[in-house]
Amino acid sequence: MSRETELLRALQRIQAPDELEGLRRAWPLVSAAFESREPVAWPRRNQWPLLAAAAGVVILAAALTSPGRALVGSVRDAVTSETVKPKPALTSLPARGVLLVNSKNGPWRVQFDGSKRRLGPWWEGSWSPQAKYVVVTRGHELAAIDPNEKGAIRWSLDRSGTVRSARWSREAGDRVAYLNGHQLRVVAGDGTADGPLRQLVATTPPAWRPGGDRELAFSTVDGRIELVETDSTKTRWRTDPGEIPTQLVWSEDGQRLLVLAERSLHVLDAEGHRLWATGLSVGPSGVAFVRKSHRFVMIRFSPATGRSDLVLLQAERDPGEERFLYSAPGDFGTLAISPNGHWLLVGWVNADQWLFLRLTASKVVAVSGIARKFGAPPRVGPLSKAFPPSVSWCCPASP
Amino acid sequence: MVGPGRQERAWIRGAQAGSASDLEALFREHWPRAHRAAFLVVQDAAAAEDIAQEAFLAAVRNLDRFDRRRPFGPWLHRIVVNRSIDWARARRLRREAGEVETAEGESDTGDLGNPFSEGIAAGLASLRPEQRAVIVLRYLLEYSPGEIADLLDLPRGTVNSRLRRGLDRLEDILDRERR
Repeated sequence: MSRETELLRALQRIQAPDELEGLRRAWPLVSAAFESREPVAWPRRNQWPLLAAAAGVVILAAALTSPGRALVGSVRDAVTSETVKPKPALTSLPARGVLLVNSKNGPWRVQFDGSKRRLGPWWEGSWSPQAKYVVVTRGHELAAIDPNEKGAIRWSLDRSGTVRSARWSREAGDRVAYLNGHQLRVVAGDGTADGPLRQLVATTPPAWRPGGDRELAFSTVDGRIELVETDSTKTRWRTDPGEIPTQLVWSEDGQRLLVLAERSLHVLDAEGHRLWATGLSVGPSGVAFVRKSHRFVMIRFSPATGRSDLVLLQAERDPGEERFLYSAPGDFGTLAISPNGHWLLVGWVNADQWLFLRLTASKVVAVSGIARKFGAPPRVGPLSKAFPPSVSWCCPASP
Repeated sequence: MVGPGRQERAWIRGAQAGSASDLEALFREHWPRAHRAAFLVVQDAAAAEDIAQEAFLAAVRNLDRFDRRRPFGPWLHRIVVNRSIDWARARRLRREAGEVETAEGESDTGDLGNPFSEGIAAGLASLRPEQRAVIVLRYLLEYSPGEIADLLDLPRGTVNSRLRRGLDRLEDILDRERR
């Protein structure tokens, strides 16, 4: 037997681990991507070379004209701005508003002038409308605290299960939804009338529908997304089972819902119909709607390059051409849009920085040393464990 | 590599017309080799799965532009192998920069099945990603050196020299195991 034949046989005997499991995991994503694409009619397919040539001419013309040069310049700036020199201190926010930062040692409030205060040793917190209160959780406890009164507790409840993912409704702030183990419960904004709404729900934070009549989206343990009217407890709609999401995010007008899971993103309309879906590589991800629009920013991690990209997509039946915003090596950890809609806060975990990206221009402001600023002790464990996992910028549509 | 069979052309035609079952047939036919090729180049099970999956997603996105008279395999393998080389290079750079804490030996090399394969896997691990890629394309996916040169955008002489050096090293390992 020749050495080549021997090598060929030896190589072909090697089994990649989990080859079949990998196939089973990958197929639903490939299938979802296939279903969400718009098939092109045959004659259009034949036009591709002509279209490509036409596009080439347009790109060349654009690059040679001054608006074209500006566009090319802005893209280049965005790509190379990872070398932007970070500020050592957060002296002010680039836009009006107030941040709620969930860190490993509790939630913090950050004012426009950069001053910050820890609100207590709670596990996580979420704004009430207009940032008057923060609803917080820890162990079996749910509480509403006043950030202007050094975190004074206004009311609190103890429950039998682990309490987490409390979210205040935006309409007059008169309801708080939260998880008690695998039970979804709702309590009035003054801490009264607490009661169960659904059993066997997933750990995904529920999401109030803006503009809805106290309607709440949540995920069941088998990955169905359900919209329920919390007063009547009637189900408005429910999807088929699927991957359990990590994030449910409504557009500001309540007409679009993003269902982000580890391996997929589904875009639903207000009636629960899927507009499109796409598969994702395992890795950090996140989504945030641009204010007053159906466009949204998504973090997309590429295992092949080890980089995270920020891309802009559209929550319409046609997702449109994706627009590249920014890219950097490593993981992006959190997204928040400023109340005026002009700035995007991105947590760049590996660099221990927050990046403030101006959405309407190629401007980036970076602030370093974020983990330490929010109470992480120096050099304890990997940075990803110490970096604040979530931020909301009051008062955006989705906390 | 031979051209596409009648069956594969039918699957591509069906998938382009919107048939999910034809796409699934194409996927099931090509997944094992694409996944294995990525695994042999990157030597990391999770990354290999992601790379193979990304390659199929890229293929789905570009399905309408695909000329169905051409074979699907080389189109897919070009994506898989180039992404695998990029990933392996990036990992090596990160290690050089001290950003990755795991040691070489800690990567998930999976169940390598038999003594020969273990030796071959170890031998592959000792090659540079670019050399691993040409070995995998030649001896797992069975492309000719000319086809490999096309797939990787390399001069044919470079492909031949990478093959020769890689093969010499692997042959040493096979010899040692025979003794």
